[in-house]
Amino acid sequence: MGFLDHSTNNIIIDAVLTDKGRELLARNDGSFSIKFFALGDDEVDYTMIQKFGRQVGAEKIIKNTPVLEAQTTAQLGLKYRLVSLSNPNLTRIPNYTLTGEGLSTDKSSVTMNKTGQDSVRSLSLGQSVANENTIDPEVQDQAFIVRINNRFLTIGTNANVVRPRSISKDQVATYVFTRDAATTGIGGSKLSMTLRVRNINEERFTAYGDGSTIKTPVTIQGVQSGATTQFEVQISK
Amino acid sequence: MATLKEITAADIKTSKSVLNQLIDVIQEDLSGSATRKKYQVFVTGGVGPGVTSSLFQTVYDQDFTLQTANPMFDVTVGLYASSSTVISSSTGVDTAGKRLFKSSSLMMREKVDNYRQFAQVLLGGADKKFVAPFGTTADETSTDTVNEAMFISFKRLFARDQVKRGTFAMRWYQSASRAPLVGTNESSDPLGNGILHYGPNLYVPTVSGSKIFTDAGATTNKKSTFGGQVADIVDSSDTSRKVGLMFYDHGTAVFDLGKIMSGSQHVSGAISAMSDAADAGDSAAGTAIIGGINTDNKGAAFIPDLMCSASIDDIIDHISTVRFSSGTKTAMTFQNITNINSTLIFCRSTADEFNYSSNPTFTDSNNRIVVIEEGSESQRTVTFPTTVGLYDANSNLLAVAKLSRPVEKRDDKDVTFRIRLDF
Repeated sequence: MGFLDHSTNNIIIDAVLTDKGRELLARNDGSFSIKFFALGDDEVDYTMIQKFGRQVGAEKIIKNTPVLEAQTTAQLGLKYRLVSLSNPNLTRIPNYTLTGEGLSTDKSSVTMNKTGQDSVRSLSLGQSVANENTIDPEVQDQAFIVRINNRFLTIGTNANVVRPRSISKDQVATYVFTRDAATTGIGGSKLSMTLRVRNINEERFTAYGDGSTIKTPVTIQGVQSGATTQFEVQISK
Repeated sequence: MATLKEITAADIKTSKSVLNQLIDVIQEDLSGSATRKKYQVFVTGGVGPGVTSSLFQTVYDQDFTLQTANPMFDVTVGLYASSSTVISSSTGVDTAGKRLFKSSSLMMREKVDNYRQFAQVLLGGADKKFVAPFGTTADETSTDTVNEAMFISFKRLFARDQVKRGTFAMRWYQSASRAPLVGTNESSDPLGNGILHYGPNLYVPTVSGSKIFTDAGATTNKKSTFGGQVADIVDSSDTSRKVGLMFYDHGTAVFDLGKIMSGSQHVSGAISAMSDAADAGDSAAGTAIIGGINTDNKGAAFIPDLMCSASIDDIIDHISTVRFSSGTKTAMTFQNITNINSTLIFCRSTADEFNYSSNPTFTDSNNRIVVIEEGSESQRTVTFPTTVGLYDANSNLLAVAKLSRPVEKRDDKDVTFRIRLDF
């Protein structure tokens, strides 16, 4: 995708149907029905305001942030949603802390094996906020959207494999989970899940990896907060 | 707390608009053999190697073997079944009602069938005839009857929903230039019979004497028929001279070859024919000379002789290389019309909505919102939306709209985004 022309003062809106939108439109059964909208700020770097102050930083964001053309892949079309909160005085909002088996020290990746006990990993996600004793109830996520590559991973144990809500043409499986009953120590939402490696043949390790390891992203998004965390699963032969 | 806001029925409007595109067809697109695709589905048996020909040819905007080539239009010719050109070439009708033709003619039934097919689609009856000016009552002998027709049908890729009235124009060369004769005096009369000895003029691009045929006046004279909207195509230098018809909804132009070319001009050159080596004389097997000094048809003219004796491919080759010439000038031009149905969706964010972000840079490593300056906790947040996502009830992202620049969204400011989806 290229950049949109931002050389004029007029704001031009470039709108496209996503692959999902076209799929539903083609069904001709009324399933293409726009009900909600969300705003996103995928290209914006808010540290500009930290660096230059509210006045100059805002100007730099508005004038010096070229915006990319609209993306037709629904999974990628809008990553970072804006959030409506009734409390106007929040100065901190929570993020996610990932814990569990096989996590790297920087918590950016999880190692798994094709077979054996390391082919199953139990992971837990919890909302946390620094220097606060409680989390505002309004920013507690009641449900989470998890996206994994359906070629390589499933969620759940052998006895209790969860069915994805949908699988995209790129084999991205989308799951929706309600939060755990228990909360974190400061009242944040928690999500526990078990990642399981599928039966992957040798050819796939060559086609989708380097021959011995496949790296695939996992994305978890809070339904209420819109907050997103991503980590990489590294599957070894 | 929410990231999605409901769109009510009052936020959705529909509208219609029209898009016009200017289409230019360059002479070289027609004259070049690489840009003109043949479909040789007609095959004869019998004498000699036989004749293969298309029923129509397609003109592309570049070499049609390239995947990036776009088909622009189809061109073909047809003959009216009751015209003198057909009747005089016929030897009768068989018991099944099939018209029989002289052996010197070629593809006569296909030419008649072409005409009948266009008449059926555009005029509502295969037996009907095209008449220019449109709507006049004319018998077969009338000059208004289009007896020898050229059909140009623009592809939907270029014609879109329809051709725009009053925008069509075509540059056309009425006479055919001749190739120089080597070792013989040009225009000599060696047999002393009044038949001049000229060089061949079937495939030499004409370089001068062009005419512009246009649908001028079509914007005020809006006729329609079985095949949709129609108007006369006229000679731009004399608009009372009606030379064809433009069917706007079909994107098809019908030209009276008897009016737009000098039909009585002597024709000379090699054409495909059912001939073996002995029959062919001066030419190769599978071909024949039309209008040659040593042939039976010395005085052959473009109409009716070429129209009867040549295959459809040979006639289209002649038209494309000679009548449209070859160069970088515009051979044809028109504007098309695309009707656009739009849904306008008003995404209204009130002052106290969408004032926080899930963007990772919105907070620092201590979860502090970076747009609120440290020590100024009374400040309110500000966000900079660049994207509007449209969702269904199952949170599927159906459409994405991007703003050309970020917009500042504060808690003292309403912002409404108007998203237009075109269908």
